[in-house]
Amino acid sequence: MSNAVEFHRVSRRFGAVTAVDDVSFSIAAGETVALLGPSGCGKTSILRVIAGFERPDHGTVSIGGRDVTALKPYERNVGLLFQHYALFPHMTVAENIAYGLRHRGADRREIPDRVEAMLALVRLQGFGSRRPHQLSGGQQQRVALARALATRPGLILLDEPLSALDAKLRQDLRAELKQVLAAVNSTAMVVTHDQEEAMSLGERVFLMQAGRIVQVGAPSDVYGRPGSRFAADFMGRTNWIEAQVTRRETGLARALSRSGLSLTVPDCPSDAIDICVRPENIILSAADDADQHGMANSAKGRILNVALLGSTRQILVEMAGGEQILVMQANRVGDGLGPGQAVTIGFPVDACITMPAGNPTGLAA
Amino acid sequence: MTGTAKRLGDRLLGGAMIAMLGLVLAFLVTPLLVTCLLAFDARSFLGPLPPPALSMRWFEKLVSLDYVTTGLATSLKIAVLTTSVDVFIGTAAAVALDRSNFPGRSLVMAVFLSPLIVPAVVIGFALLLFLSRIGIVDGFTRLLCGHIVITLPYVVRTVLASLSGRDRRLTEAALVLGATEHQAFWNITLPLIRSGMVTGAVFAFAVSLDDVAVSMFLTDPSTYTLPVALVSNMRASFDLTIAAAAVLLMAVSAVLIIVLERFVGFDRLLGQGLFRS
Ligand SMILES: Nc1ncnc2c1ncn2[C@@H]1O[C@H](COP(=O)(O)OP(=O)(O)O)[C@@H](O)[C@H]1O
Ligand SMILES: [Mg+2]
Repeated sequence: MSNAVEFHRVSRRFGAVTAVDDVSFSIAAGETVALLGPSGCGKTSILRVIAGFERPDHGTVSIGGRDVTALKPYERNVGLLFQHYALFPHMTVAENIAYGLRHRGADRREIPDRVEAMLALVRLQGFGSRRPHQLSGGQQQRVALARALATRPGLILLDEPLSALDAKLRQDLRAELKQVLAAVNSTAMVVTHDQEEAMSLGERVFLMQAGRIVQVGAPSDVYGRPGSRFAADFMGRTNWIEAQVTRRETGLARALSRSGLSLTVPDCPSDAIDICVRPENIILSAADDADQHGMANSAKGRILNVALLGSTRQILVEMAGGEQILVMQANRVGDGLGPGQAVTIGFPVDACITMPAGNPTGLAA
Repeated sequence: MTGTAKRLGDRLLGGAMIAMLGLVLAFLVTPLLVTCLLAFDARSFLGPLPPPALSMRWFEKLVSLDYVTTGLATSLKIAVLTTSVDVFIGTAAAVALDRSNFPGRSLVMAVFLSPLIVPAVVIGFALLLFLSRIGIVDGFTRLLCGHIVITLPYVVRTVLASLSGRDRRLTEAALVLGATEHQAFWNITLPLIRSGMVTGAVFAFAVSLDDVAVSMFLTDPSTYTLPVALVSNMRASFDLTIAAAAVLLMAVSAVLIIVLERFVGFDRLLGQGLFRS
């Protein structure tokens, strides 16, 4: 079976800005991919190239095995959910949803049924005769989704589908969006700058930086095995420890941090290394806890402060050598951790990700 | 300052604003009311108000005057033609400006809107010179050109305001749903700008009907608009036919505004960005 979408060395420049820089990827039919990256890195530009609003300066785009590089938007059957929905203000909800059906040559007698089915899919039965401005943000988002899906596009593109909503609603709609996408069973590309959203919606994550896709993988891979400092930082909070390798064993390296911590980490070809440790992989216990002695890496320190985040808390620990390490753990009641307390932290070898030092972007020089 | 003193200050300010509003309204409305009264004055001279008796004599005289009927016919023809051309060109220009993104865009916009700022005398004189230089000496054509120049900005402006940047995204939404550019224009862009077009057209019509300053330069002995004819003859013989003519023109404006209110709504009409940039 041919790939649903394929980019072959696509570039798109706007004046001096290279919004899409020599990007190649392919998406399998039925797959949901999250295109993740900071604002301005070129995510929307990639969607616009797929939808046909932008012609690439270089490279080819194919959809379902067909080269569509030179085709107009209306000559491709792609569903697109715009970042701010772009609902037609002068049409009712039902007319909005029917618009694509009418222009894609659906049988006129079947349109009302199809519209009803779409309204049911996004749980908006009975809203067909409303105008967009009479709906809440979340409802507008669902109408836009229904409109994009009505023509049964083989490929659906969603540009920051939840970013215009407030935090609580965003979580609810994220789950709902996932269900709807699974129900229609089409190939989907979700653009987002929110790594949580990317990890929960995408079967694969395409991580973008400055016009390029810098890492592709399952969410757990990109999170757990970031290929660069940028990827590690963008996917979540991390501790960085700069160190020098002092000795190598099979697959392992002994390293000494700048402040004198002695660590055992996965091996790395470079001698000067950056070690990334996720805060939730660090175990924190009272100063004289014997359990920590089994850990490959452990060190003593003192709590600087504790920040409650609801179900979790972040504890900042200052090590004896001066390094500050962030620890994230479940927020248990009544264990009385507080600033000034002496503690021991520990983490296993496989909680450490090592990469050559001094390459903050991870991009080839 | 104590709480009561603050409140008193607010009350005074509120009162002053209402008083000011009343004054401005009185200043705007009083001349209109006086004109209406005078138009129905039965006396043959300009006497003290109120008139002792009312009559239709000035209206009768008005319609019996040749220059009035000729002028009115020309004015209406010019206004209708001007408005039609404006709606067509102005809409096209506004849509093109809204969609384009070239470096000199704001300059082009300024040129389109400049007749709102450049003094009418300058426009009239410049047009007279320019049109005769390119060989257009016919009064009707000259008037038509002049009126299009001074009224086009109204349509451009109201249509631009109604597009307000939404059009590009909505058009793209239509394209990706399978509509061609042509279809998207008819069923997305046009409905979006319809109220802007109507508002612009009414303003253009009213301005064209009313203009004296530019038209003065462009008339010829046999082609003149009603306001020009009235002003010229007012100097020769001053009587109350001019008040009757004013009432007539006011009636036309009132009808236009009522029509507009029905189709567009007053708030939309005034909020249409005529005086916004
Ligand atoms: N039509 C355009 N004209 C000029 N620059 C553009 C245009 N579209 C995008 N860009 C630039 O390209 C870069 C990528 O933009 P975009 O794809 O919108 O990023 P993202 O969606 O990831 O925030 C930005 O620097 C943006 O300013
Ligand atoms: Mg974007």
